[in-house]
Amino acid sequence: MKEEYLVEMKNINKNFGAVKALKGVDFIVKKREVVGLLGDNGAGKSTLIKILCGVLKADSGEIFFNNKELSISSPYQAREKGIETVHQELSLVNTMTIARNMFLGKEPIRKVGFFSFLDKETMNREARKVIGDVGIKVRSPDEYVSILSGGERQAIAIGRAMYFDAKLLILDEPLRALSVKEQKNVLDHVNQVRDQGISVIFISHNVYHAYSVTDRFVLLNKGEKQGEILKEDSTPEEIAEFVSSGEKLSKIV
Amino acid sequence: MAFLIIFVTFSLLSSKFASLHNLASILTVTSELGIMSIGIAFLMIAGEFDLSVSSVYAFTGFLFIILANRMNSVAAFFMALMVAAVIGYINGQITIKAKIPSFIATLGTMMFLRGILLGLTGGNSVLYQSDNIMPHILTEYITGHFRPSHIWFIVLIIIMSIILKRTPYGNWVFATGGSEKVARTMGVNTNRVKIINFMVCAVLAGLAGIIAITRFRLANAAFGTRMELEAIASAVIGGTLMTGGFGSILGAALGAIIMGMLRSGLVMAGAPSYWYEAFVGLILIIAATINLKLRNTG
Ligand SMILES: Nc1ncnc2c1ncn2[C@@H]1O[C@H](COP(=O)(O)OP(=O)(O)O)[C@@H](O)[C@H]1O
Ligand SMILES: [Mg+2]
Repeated sequence: MKEEYLVEMKNINKNFGAVKALKGVDFIVKKREVVGLLGDNGAGKSTLIKILCGVLKADSGEIFFNNKELSISSPYQAREKGIETVHQELSLVNTMTIARNMFLGKEPIRKVGFFSFLDKETMNREARKVIGDVGIKVRSPDEYVSILSGGERQAIAIGRAMYFDAKLLILDEPLRALSVKEQKNVLDHVNQVRDQGISVIFISHNVYHAYSVTDRFVLLNKGEKQGEILKEDSTPEEIAEFVSSGEKLSKIV
Repeated sequence: MAFLIIFVTFSLLSSKFASLHNLASILTVTSELGIMSIGIAFLMIAGEFDLSVSSVYAFTGFLFIILANRMNSVAAFFMALMVAAVIGYINGQITIKAKIPSFIATLGTMMFLRGILLGLTGGNSVLYQSDNIMPHILTEYITGHFRPSHIWFIVLIIIMSIILKRTPYGNWVFATGGSEKVARTMGVNTNRVKIINFMVCAVLAGLAGIIAITRFRLANAAFGTRMELEAIASAVIGGTLMTGGFGSILGAALGAIIMGMLRSGLVMAGAPSYWYEAFVGLILIIAATINLKLRNTG
């Protein structure tokens, strides 16, 4: 049973001063599974995944990754372990080019003697590929991110996360600020990623956004887990109803 | 881009200074200011300031003379630069640990170091009385006009430009200054980047100080006062954003050349030196404004 787990977070607590952002949350992601993490704004969704990807540290609780205790103290270590994240705030540096952003923190290098130089050729070639894959129209990977629209930035951030061979892809509100066509693009990509056997955490405050790609929903409410629902057991309307009611569910999974 | 506008304007205004002798002497002053400006730009791109460079310049130069007078100039050179690196490290740690703006932290170390220097020397000058090795390597005329420091300046422009533009480390520097939070989220150790850049900045300021001192063969405690503003102005004229994340080494070096031409021009025109200071202030404001406008519209 446990072999199926990619991520197991147990009894996670996190306070910001007086704000109890997470109150004893348990959270599981199985291998090859798309988990929809749902909840209203302020429910603690972003806080939970920021702990998983090394941006924040939990006050208490345990995390297992591939059944081994995950002790990471920085986003760098999380990325090394195969956890790629697209944060709600996108994590792009506006004053840098698309290519430089793409490889930030994981730059390809070319060794000359003792020195490591940026492999610009690879950066530009791969960035161009990613730009094509996510279907945005920019002239070159040397364009600055500041000139891109919200949707284009979203696409670049998602393309970047999918580029590196991740075991777990975390998408925090990935459909926000996107046009219907761009939304469909992202959802197609999530399906592709799942087909490659990668687990995905898909965060949204809107169940309709997540419904088509998600296998299982985890509901978060005011820092507590409200419950879990398998997609085949519920219609999106029912799930939306639970989210807005805030009632605890009996655990279905 | 800001550079081009100003460069064209001033080269038109200062075309009368275009004699080889005068250009070379501008280059001598520029090399010292420019080496400091390169360090400042490198640090500003990472999103931090260092006002203490002028004091580090004087302090390192002094230390070099004192050590060289006791042992030899080569050992003194390396030891003095190591002390500069330590000062840079301390600047970085204060900024990061105390979480105060580096503008304030380094204003503190600037005054502290200058005060120590004045206190220890009692305001007296110190003469260089050691071997000729470092003076030869750094400043003694190679030809009628040119000095080794000109070459070191150019070499440093090239090396630092390569580091900034063509290495992963350079990418982290841009990211740290562009958005520290994003850089950290993507796995960059931003504190380490900042501390290293503070150290590089201090070492380059110290090197500039030693170069100047081997040229004069004497140091006094007022040495380099206000030079930090010239260096920051050079970097900003060269297109470095005050807010970090954007800029270039070559730009800062060209900015230093503009400052050198300006100073030389004013001196030649017979203007008292405080006019130069007024100009530095003015240019700083204008260049910073132009940079911001260019970035916002482009
Ligand atoms: N860095 C922070 N400092 C203080 N409070 C925070 C911080 N991050 C989140 N919070 C608070 O924690 C709660 C959960 O926030 P968040 O995890 O962003 O929710 P969600 O992503 O579900 O909208 C909110 O009340 C929010 O105001
Ligand atoms: Mg959120």
